Amino acid sequence: MARSRVPRAIARGAALLLGAILLWGMGGVPSRTHVLRITGFQFVPPRIHVAVGDTLTWVNEDIVPHTATAATGAWDSGTIAAKGRATLVIRAPGRVEYQCALHPTMKGMVVAE
Amino acid sequence: MRSLALSLAALLVAGACASGSMENADSMAAAPQAQQRPAQPLTDANIAAIVVAANTIDIENGKLALERSGTDNIRRFAQTMITDHSGVNQAAVDLVTKLKVTPVDNATSNGLVESANATRASLRARSGADFDRAYIANEVDYHRAVLSAIDDALIPNAQNAELRALLVSVRPAIAAHLQHAESLKQQVAN
Repeated sequence: MARSRVPRAIARGAALLLGAILLWGMGGVPSRTHVLRITGFQFVPPRIHVAVGDTLTWVNEDIVPHTATAATGAWDSGTIAAKGRATLVIRAPGRVEYQCALHPTMKGMVVAE
Repeated sequence: MRSLALSLAALLVAGACASGSMENADSMAAAPQAQQRPAQPLTDANIAAIVVAANTIDIENGKLALERSGTDNIRRFAQTMITDHSGVNQAAVDLVTKLKVTPVDNATSNGLVESANATRASLRARSGADFDRAYIANEVDYHRAVLSAIDDALIPNAQNAELRALLVSVRPAIAAHLQHAESLKQQVAN
């Protein structure tokens, strides 16, 4: 019984290795899109962990415009119209606090690794 | 400068009376203006008129600030007030149109407009840092009073669920404006 498990374990390991090699060959881990809501003058979730290359989409559910503007100046969604949305790709790792430039009490954080 | 806040305070008392939540005679004595009028429950048409009047007042105040202030922070705040309160007014108009409710002016909405006209006349007489301080102080008072009015008179008296939902959705905007105005008030005081 123990003998038959070894080849299976090796095969599983080989398959994982092959998958990793193929993924690496295609350019790494596929990027993801994260949707953040803007509702009731809050970013939801207020803090999000992403990978470099991931896409962030803010959906503004409020009846007034907002922005998502990095405190460092690294990125800025521009004005997100009421009921509108804005998308940007995170290009660099780091922990970035952001806020709505129109309503400075609205704050969020993106942690990119 | 605080006349608008006083008008909204009178609305709170009237709203509380109409809701039957006024508990003692001492509180009534503190608001003789409201005591003299028979308490009438606010109808949805009244509430719609108050919402439109209150938003229009701050849009006009914002326009005046853009005319008279040269301070970037104040001008940006004023532009945000114009944009946001216009958005709220549009949402209110869209809703009452859908509900086939015609806003009905009332003592409160008329009082708000009269008070705001007096406030703007006072603001127009000022300039420079004096204008900035007076404008932002009025914005703090205005948003604080509107927030109380939403909580204590408008939401409790709104009959239609969609109108109530609109008032609930507007509340965070007023709260954020108040915090922003309080922060600017500190800045212009220094």
